[in-house]
Amino acid sequence: MTQTNTLSPEYWLDEHGDILYRYALLRVHSEATAEDLVQDTLLAGIQAIERFSGKSTLRTWLVGILKHKIIDHFRKYKREVLSLDADDTAEEVLSYQFDQQGNWKEDLVEWGTPEKTVNDKQFWLAFNLCISRLPPRMADLLFLRAVDGLATQECCSLLGFESENQLWVTLSRTRAKLRLCLDTHWFNKV
Amino acid sequence: MYQCKEITQFTSQEMDAKLPWLTRMEMKLHLLMCKNCQRYAQQLRFINKALVNLEVHPTTANSQLSKQAKQRIAQSIQELEKE
Repeated sequence: MTQTNTLSPEYWLDEHGDILYRYALLRVHSEATAEDLVQDTLLAGIQAIERFSGKSTLRTWLVGILKHKIIDHFRKYKREVLSLDADDTAEEVLSYQFDQQGNWKEDLVEWGTPEKTVNDKQFWLAFNLCISRLPPRMADLLFLRAVDGLATQECCSLLGFESENQLWVTLSRTRAKLRLCLDTHWFNKV
Repeated sequence: MYQCKEITQFTSQEMDAKLPWLTRMEMKLHLLMCKNCQRYAQQLRFINKALVNLEVHPTTANSQLSKQAKQRIAQSIQELEKE
């Protein structure tokens, strides 16, 4: 394939469209919104192609643009304050791992070498699955904080948390839930 | 003395905020003695990295752009190129 072909926008759509779409869908939970984000990303990429340095792959560069579009989306469509019901279920997940004194009931199993893990496609399938099982608002919070690096106060206002304390507790439960899911479905699978 | 359950909360919170000095010290002390909480902290750090470098794979039937969506996007690209 020639250089011109790999840089043609139609090629971008065929080669990277589905990847961008999957990432967007995981983040925004709506097919229509995800499609719009892919379109915005590709158009922005085409218009800014002279800024693509070639230091990363084109895909990585496009995913970077998509991540900015996703943050914009959350900022623009700041949601109504949702009830915390869905998030609260995670408290049980957290609790049953501990005895009455608050100590681990069972020993945690070591997860082995992370380098090996991240090269395994099956691991990413399990990881995707565990993320999709999180209540949407918990997943939104985790990504905005841990991936997009938004300040805790902005996360509070975008996602309708009343206090930073409430946000920290929810983040901790989200990570605990994700960890347990990965442990059960991947690392410690029987 | 903190319990493991509280330490898991602090382990997460430390990723988002600075903990009070005393809490940090007590946490350090707990981690020195507690293999499970050490592993928990390692695993949360691994999850953070994996989230940043997330690879998406098709997990469900709707994990591809629909034909209609592709057509719509291709059209918007062509319109842009005409300009």
